[in-house]
Amino acid sequence: MPGLIEANLPALQVVLPLVAAPICAMLGKGSRAWAFATLVAFLAFAISISLFIATYGGQVISYEMGGWAPPLGIEYRIDVLNAFVLMIVSGMAALVLPYAHRSVAAEIPAERQPFFYTAFLLCLTGLLGVAITGDAFNVFVFLEISSLSTYALVASGSWRNKRALTAAYNYLIMGTVGATFFVIGIGMIYMITGTLNMADLATRIIEHGDSRTLRMGFVFIFIGVGLKLAMFPLHLWLPNAYTFAPTAVTAFVAATATKVAVYVLLRFMFTVFGFDYEFQAETLKNVLLPVALVAMFAASLVAIFQDDLKRMLAYSSIAQIGYMLLGLAFLTHTGLMATIVHLFNHAVTKGALFMVAGCFILSAGTSSISSLRGIGRDMPWTTAAFVAGGMSLIGLPLTVGFISKWYLVQAALELGWWPVALLIMASSLLAIVYVWRVVEAAYLKPAPEGVTRREAPLSMLIPAWILVGLSIWFGVSATLTTTAASRAADVLIGSSQMLWEE
Amino acid sequence: MEHHAILRVVSKLLIPPILVYALYVQWHGDYGPGGGFQAGVVFAVAFILYALVYGVDEMARVVPPRLLHASAGIGVLIYAGTGVVTMALGENFLGYNALAHHPVHAQEWGIIIVEFGVGVAVASVMISIFIAFACHNPPLKDEDW
Amino acid sequence: MTDANALLLALSIPTVTMFLIAMSGSRPNIRDGISIVASICTFAVVLRLLESVMAGARPSVTLVEVMPGLTINFSIEPLGMLFATVASGLWIVTAIYSIGYMRGAQEKKQTRFYICFALAIASALAIAFSGNLFTLFIFYEVLTISTYPLVAHKETPEARAGARVYLGILMTTSILFLLVAVIWTWNLAGTMEFRAGGILEGNIDPAYVPFLLALFAFGIGKAALMPFHRWLPAAMVAPTPVSALLHAVAVVKAGVFTMLKVGTYIFGVGFLSKTGASEWLVWVAGASILIASIIALTKDDLKARLAYSTVSQLSYITLGVALANQMGVIGGSMHIAMHAMGKITLFMCAGAIYVAAHKTKVSELDGLGPKMPVTFICFTIASLSIIGLPPFGGAWSKWYLLLAAANAGQVVMIVVLMLSSLLNVAYLLAIPGRAFFAPPKKQVAHSLGAAASPSDGIEEAPLFCLVPICLTAIGCIVLFFAVGGLYEYLLSIPILPEAAP
Repeated sequence: MPGLIEANLPALQVVLPLVAAPICAMLGKGSRAWAFATLVAFLAFAISISLFIATYGGQVISYEMGGWAPPLGIEYRIDVLNAFVLMIVSGMAALVLPYAHRSVAAEIPAERQPFFYTAFLLCLTGLLGVAITGDAFNVFVFLEISSLSTYALVASGSWRNKRALTAAYNYLIMGTVGATFFVIGIGMIYMITGTLNMADLATRIIEHGDSRTLRMGFVFIFIGVGLKLAMFPLHLWLPNAYTFAPTAVTAFVAATATKVAVYVLLRFMFTVFGFDYEFQAETLKNVLLPVALVAMFAASLVAIFQDDLKRMLAYSSIAQIGYMLLGLAFLTHTGLMATIVHLFNHAVTKGALFMVAGCFILSAGTSSISSLRGIGRDMPWTTAAFVAGGMSLIGLPLTVGFISKWYLVQAALELGWWPVALLIMASSLLAIVYVWRVVEAAYLKPAPEGVTRREAPLSMLIPAWILVGLSIWFGVSATLTTTAASRAADVLIGSSQMLWEE
Repeated sequence: MEHHAILRVVSKLLIPPILVYALYVQWHGDYGPGGGFQAGVVFAVAFILYALVYGVDEMARVVPPRLLHASAGIGVLIYAGTGVVTMALGENFLGYNALAHHPVHAQEWGIIIVEFGVGVAVASVMISIFIAFACHNPPLKDEDW
Repeated sequence: MTDANALLLALSIPTVTMFLIAMSGSRPNIRDGISIVASICTFAVVLRLLESVMAGARPSVTLVEVMPGLTINFSIEPLGMLFATVASGLWIVTAIYSIGYMRGAQEKKQTRFYICFALAIASALAIAFSGNLFTLFIFYEVLTISTYPLVAHKETPEARAGARVYLGILMTTSILFLLVAVIWTWNLAGTMEFRAGGILEGNIDPAYVPFLLALFAFGIGKAALMPFHRWLPAAMVAPTPVSALLHAVAVVKAGVFTMLKVGTYIFGVGFLSKTGASEWLVWVAGASILIASIIALTKDDLKARLAYSTVSQLSYITLGVALANQMGVIGGSMHIAMHAMGKITLFMCAGAIYVAAHKTKVSELDGLGPKMPVTFICFTIASLSIIGLPPFGGAWSKWYLLLAAANAGQVVMIVVLMLSSLLNVAYLLAIPGRAFFAPPKKQVAHSLGAAASPSDGIEEAPLFCLVPICLTAIGCIVLFFAVGGLYEYLLSIPILPEAAP
């Protein structure tokens, strides 16, 4: 039996939450559904950890679905890069679900909760599937599974605030447009190569050589995924979706969905199209670099003027995604390392911050910064978690945010791109402004009259503090994450062994 | 609508053949156009026709929404469950060869079972969607027809 | 106890004190007692380390590897030992003084105050003991964050605004300039270790050295080099014990200490003078000295005047680094000790005046001398030390800086230093002058027929404030006579090549 499980681990990673989802829908009560979902998330996390351990040293695990060999069959292909992403996704689920118990109970009526957890499990399935698969069309399928369930999850915030419905609808339209672009792009490269398996695509694309269809395919995929990862200016769906969704949903989705989309971009750009594909390098320099820089600044500036805490964090996320794209645009080993390590670092930081926002909503009934005056006194632990997360967002030393910034600036200086290095630092300064607004309000202003606020319940505080602890732990001793990121970058660069012959 | 004899009688005549046709499409996916998705939709059409003629509440009495939600889940479970069974029998996920001795027969069995799961799921979902939308509007009074 | 253990102990005591203070918050006497006991223990351990270092030991401890190649490492060398001794010694003094001041002025939130204080001292010691630039940067940032609640302590809108300027300027300079400089150094040299003779020689194109130096000089915002000095006057909204220790000793001294460390162990004094890269810094520092002194003359608020005086004095040390010779380093290092002793006395006197007489402006101090004799005598002593007259410690550091300027052939700087002393006389000695020799302002009658009372109940400051003030004032005199030992000690700072210019 253990041998059976071990041999089928890659499939189980996705099958487990997939099978659990309909079962969860049939469990009548909210707490039964919650307990079941949490158990499944823990099991999925355990599977991710064992897959990460197996691939950390550089091995690649290949699993054939249905026993059909690739390139005809669908292959699940795991190397250190996607094992890393799998761990982030399932880890966040394992932390958010215990947190969700009280938070969801307060925001969603009891008879709807089993469906909420069902949708959550489906979202988890989708994200895990995107990360683990080695087949291009399969990526699209799982991407849609995760997106559709996310739309439903965002809409379930409508019991608290009706605007969640429009936010979800907006997200649905834009997300579907993005997915459509993506699948058209895949169609184009299928057209010229006749295969959908990513490893096979890589060889056949190089055999085929550069052509207009290939470039179009690249552009369509780039834009489709760009919308999913909220690349400026395709980010318009994100602020509303994150603000009005239930907090547990925001915490999970903010920490995972965009990261998985960045992973898809990395995978397609470097494994499928090849690290040294000329057209791609041009695009990165002329399109992605300016877009990333603008995202970093524009989003941070907008964040400064927000009163709603969740909305501020949502704009901050757009800026952080700008950092990831910037690392990508450098097209060097250090730059890729920065992007990959920031996948983890940002997931941990933003997860913690959104959890804290949820604690505020539960105890204080509001997430408006001006109403949260003086909350440092009433909710000391929660606010302290916010300060720690905020410091990571700014990029102060001893936090994970610092590690990412360090590698980004190092990558810029290695290339001699002075202005970019200074711009990266300048955007950190903007982060100081919007984080410190909250700190000032929480600690240095008196509380509003006649309002009592109690500390958040332990089931919400502990996961938030676990994430804060991780953000400090991996900021003090970042060797594990940076080595994993470095090896993942090696994989991406090395996967295109052949040089493009023009 | 009950007062419209022609509609009533014709629908009573049509619904059983529709259901039979749905089953035909379901099982003949191997040999011709068909399979779970199409069959599921056709199956649902029968119920929707009943709802159009006799009212959504009547249809909801016949197929309660809770049953529909459960059967949608069961449909997915049949599909995924087949995969799990094949894993337990030693093959990879959805490796149908484990289901019988001869590979061709095994593949046939595998496809038939998973398509059945798909059919159940699709039919349940289509009917649920119809009920969800139809229940929003207040029933039209007969005078307004 | 081995040296390495002593090092860790010296850092652990203030850190653990933080938690002890937090736990005893409800019992003020125990809490304040813990502060004093911890400060004495820390000083004892630091003295033990000083003994070892003077005998030639260089203890080193590596804590953790943060990123591949970048570790948190503590290694003591003479310069760091000096700073640590100054910081931990003056912690005792300020702890005692804080108790008197905070209770006398009945400030709120004292527990938070003492916690942040302990953390700030821990960071200052960590900076002093840093073995590489990475560690120094980390604790440099921790120091900024830990002193923010101290600056914003009063929680009034002015306090918040002042704290915002404080944090804003320090964070901007450290993230925008210093971090970029640190990463650039890492890229060039492949190491961040502080080594005698510097790590940059041979690794960098000499044309770039002035730029890297500029990034460091302006990035080390805590050294208050103009034009990034505004945080220092802005931070005067803090209660005076904060101003005293942090801005006369720990925070600003961390800044100039970092400047000295970077100049001596990253660039290397010989390399700097060979490439002439610090020429421009000589001029900027000189300008900073003069401009700050002139601004100090115009300030009526006592603490603001002292703040600009600090800006000026810190630029002395920056000048020492910029002159790029051994005398410059020695003069600058010596000035850390001398200025600390003098400035802390001045600030504590300012605080004592506030507690006893509720006066904050220089113009209000007329005739206050006879009522608060001890305070103003100590103020005079400290002023004379800052001005640089014997028999007070400041005379020696000024002397060595003049020597350094002469050695470097910078005649203009000699003039600048002299001028600065004259300006110091003008804005510092004016205060005790008015206190002792000017007649007290006539009290205006407040209501019809009522005469102003002849004595307005002002007496000498409370004992808890007076004792530390006297201690540090005496310290100024002691340092004058102890300079021989100090000079010998500072000669042991390695400046390669051995015959550095």
